[in-house]
Amino acid sequence: MPATFPDIPVNRITDDPIERKLYSRDLAPVPAILVKPFFRTLPDAVIRPGNAEQVAEVVRQAARQRVPVTPRAAASTSYYNTVPVRGGWVLDVNDLRGGIELDAARQTVRTLPATTWFELDDALQQKGFAVKSYPSSAVSATIGGWVSMQGHGLGSLKYGGVGEQLVSLQVALPDGELRTVTRESDPPLDWFVAAEGTLGVITGVELTVRPRPAAESHHLFAFDDLNALGQSVAWLSRAEPRPFTIFFADSGYLRLLARGGFHIPLDLPPSHFPISEKGLLLASFQGETSEVNRGKDVLTRLPGQELPSDLALEEWNLRLYHLRTKRAGPSLLAAELWLPLDKLGHYLQAVKALAGRSHLLIGTYGLAVAPDMALVMSLYPTDERHTVKYLAAIGFTKWLHDLSARCGGRPYGVGLWNSAYLPRLFSPAQLDELKKRKARLDPTGIMNPGKLYRASFPLWPVTFSLGAAVLGAGHVMLGRERP
Amino acid sequence: MSDQTFFKGLMDESLICAYCGYCRTVCPTYVEVGWESCSPRGRIQLIRLLLAGTPLSAGQMTRLYQCTLCGHCAQVCSTRIDLRQFWLEARAQTVSRELSPQGLATARDNVARTGNVYGYQNDERAGWVEYMDDAPADLYQRDQAEVVYFVGCSSSFSPRAQRIAESFVRVLDAAQVSFTILGEGEVCCGFPLLAAGMHDQAQTLIEHNLERVRMTGARTVVFTCPACRMMWLEEYARHLPGIRLLHATELLAELMAARPLPLKDVNRVVTYHDPCDLARNGGVYDAPRQVLAAIPGLQFVEVHERRERGLCCGGGGDLEMVDPALAQRVAQRTASKLAATGAQVIATACPQCVRTLARGTEQAVPGVEVKDLVELLAEALDI
Ligand SMILES: Cc1cc2nc3c(=O)[nH]c(=O)nc-3n(C[C@H](O)[C@H](O)[C@H](O)COP(=O)(O)OP(=O)(O)OC[C@H]3O[C@@H](n4cnc5c(N)ncnc54)[C@H](O)[C@@H]3O)c2cc1C
Ligand code: SF4
Ligand code: SF4
Repeated sequence: MPATFPDIPVNRITDDPIERKLYSRDLAPVPAILVKPFFRTLPDAVIRPGNAEQVAEVVRQAARQRVPVTPRAAASTSYYNTVPVRGGWVLDVNDLRGGIELDAARQTVRTLPATTWFELDDALQQKGFAVKSYPSSAVSATIGGWVSMQGHGLGSLKYGGVGEQLVSLQVALPDGELRTVTRESDPPLDWFVAAEGTLGVITGVELTVRPRPAAESHHLFAFDDLNALGQSVAWLSRAEPRPFTIFFADSGYLRLLARGGFHIPLDLPPSHFPISEKGLLLASFQGETSEVNRGKDVLTRLPGQELPSDLALEEWNLRLYHLRTKRAGPSLLAAELWLPLDKLGHYLQAVKALAGRSHLLIGTYGLAVAPDMALVMSLYPTDERHTVKYLAAIGFTKWLHDLSARCGGRPYGVGLWNSAYLPRLFSPAQLDELKKRKARLDPTGIMNPGKLYRASFPLWPVTFSLGAAVLGAGHVMLGRERP
Repeated sequence: MSDQTFFKGLMDESLICAYCGYCRTVCPTYVEVGWESCSPRGRIQLIRLLLAGTPLSAGQMTRLYQCTLCGHCAQVCSTRIDLRQFWLEARAQTVSRELSPQGLATARDNVARTGNVYGYQNDERAGWVEYMDDAPADLYQRDQAEVVYFVGCSSSFSPRAQRIAESFVRVLDAAQVSFTILGEGEVCCGFPLLAAGMHDQAQTLIEHNLERVRMTGARTVVFTCPACRMMWLEEYARHLPGIRLLHATELLAELMAARPLPLKDVNRVVTYHDPCDLARNGGVYDAPRQVLAAIPGLQFVEVHERRERGLCCGGGGDLEMVDPALAQRVAQRTASKLAATGAQVIATACPQCVRTLARGTEQAVPGVEVKDLVELLAEALDI
């Protein structure tokens, strides 16, 4: 291996079996029975380039030798986006971190791709600026990783998806060329947004930033009715001034937290069933003091009951800590969705009905990320130590996706596992366009193969639907909450 | 995040770990090494593999010891795993499977033989007092006292850290505190063994030290070493009801608030490095800053990474015994960040931080001095 890369120090390449094993998983563990017969998730080697030139060198060699390359940053995704499915090399980009250069006059910043959102914002705040948006995984999620994914989170409601904030990207293309792409270039930078590492490796990012907000204010509301909660989120998302973010959660989410041993801001009955209609809404305004004050006025028209400000602040401070719910597990599975805001109440009610009927604990929370769109997570606890139970729980995700589809929703992110939903994610024309880009930039198909463009067996629509239906039914039996 | 602890044991916690990676970029050793196996979540996976019966070598388990026990991972953990507890129990597992690094077995044998990790004769423990030209006739070893100063191995034996002990006893004298040291009656507090996963071997040491402290009738035990203080709080305190266990900076802040000391100007730019075991793990943030604020002339500049987010010096968790080169790299990076404040002096409150950061500055930012806070105070007292 080192002989292949004369310019990369040997201590940046490993074929150690245990090390490789650690690079063959992401957030959501999947039982071997669903993986081993179909995919080769163990990389042949892991390479940690130290700079953009070394990244380009790896990609060039990979194309020459037709070796699959899987870019991996924080690996805070859960659809095997960063896990190889055909072996090859995992390209750990994490050493391309830092290099933050602010252009205060233009309100833009350049950074290396593996800087985390938390780090970038922290550095900007010290200089009087702030990022416009960040994922609720900002402590680990990298700039390049979020650009490569769907790129919506906190702040997107006000400032749009991360794609809208990009000025330029430096990319190592599969032919080994390092290219700066902009909105006007060919290929344009849009191609690399949500490309999930299938078109090249991002080695530098330039994006717009905002002045550090002069004021911010957080308000927590309790609701007794999920429809009212949904309608309020939808209404507030279109209100002026636009909130920086709106977070919402149902009683299932709060129950998961309580079961994990955490304090929750609402009183819930001792038993989860019948499921309470209660829910929470956190509205956060950031900006000029006058704007934030106007935001407070808007909130007087919300129907929920405003909770004390210390609870609102606590909820805001926990905005990156939704994974606390995992203490109700030990395992937690989730359907992560785009959902039209005007159907939010309907979806929350439908999840409640499904959970109530089947005596399951399902918690839903999310963010309004556009005036008409929410990013929603429906979570449910399980235990990966019990393979059958866990397999059934995995199948149940499709039940939630189907339920969301009936409300106009679709999965958020593709990777390997969501490729089963491609027809829901893209129109035939959109998919065609994506495939054309892939064929043009990566003709040998070495960049993160097996993801995004087509489903591999057993994720073909028929096998997948059948399997998930059966397994999901298993979860309805095995995942039942004990009275 | 709250300080609530949820620890359910190694296997359960390793399952609860979400693999979210929040712990990665704050980990001082992962940042240096870069491989997933050296990230906190990677180490958790290694333990999970070990518990599941995967044959792992001592070499592979070294990753578990390439950790300073700085606690930063626990502070950011998205599922609130008490990772400090996790690492200590995980290390105990490697010891029981005879997979711990050789350097630690040597330290254990040294402690068993001599009562200190270095393997020096324990009757030399108070040797530093004999070198003080104005030491009192009793060499600070008194039968009865209100306060016991538990010096710790580092300040007893390491030449650089001995200056801390020397400064502290002078400051205590200046503040007219009735105190004693235990001299050769003191043995290692046991923390290096606990950190090595050898909890049981620490018990004899604990019993010995407890007995010595009880004999003095003291109502306060004071430490210049934050790791000793942590160890006493966690393992000794329940046997010493009514006795206060304080870090030197806590005692000094208290004394100085009650009666200011006659301090002279120290006209230097000083920053403060929060020792992990005093600050993030030990909860003491304000006392050292109060002491610094009382020194006239001193221009204090805070480093951005401070308090709960304080940097690690690289010297904790027995890392120096297992991988001194890695400890050194961590120290250099931290020293550079601290020096970037423009400080002429990096003040801290831990002999181990002083030792490692002094070496780190020597290589990365020569000319920047590293001092324990009690040394700065002694300077301000002109003693
Ligand atoms: C607690 C939690 C909260 C989350 N909240 C959100 C949220 O609010 N919004 C949201 O969108 N997601 C969210 N996520 C999902 C995930 O964290 C984000 O998608 C994140 O941006 C991924 O970044 P990463 O650095 O972990 O990328 P990785 O997971 O390492 O990679 C993601 C994809 O990008 C590719 N990639 C990574 N780096 C590069 C690069 N430099 N060049 C080319 N390709 C690259 C990889 O191949 C992979 O396909 C959340 C996850 C968690 C655990
Ligand atoms: S305690 Fe510190 S060194 Fe150890 S794993 Fe956690 S962050 Fe890393
Ligand atoms: S932050 Fe906690 S839950 Fe996340 S990977 Fe690290 S140890 Fe696991």
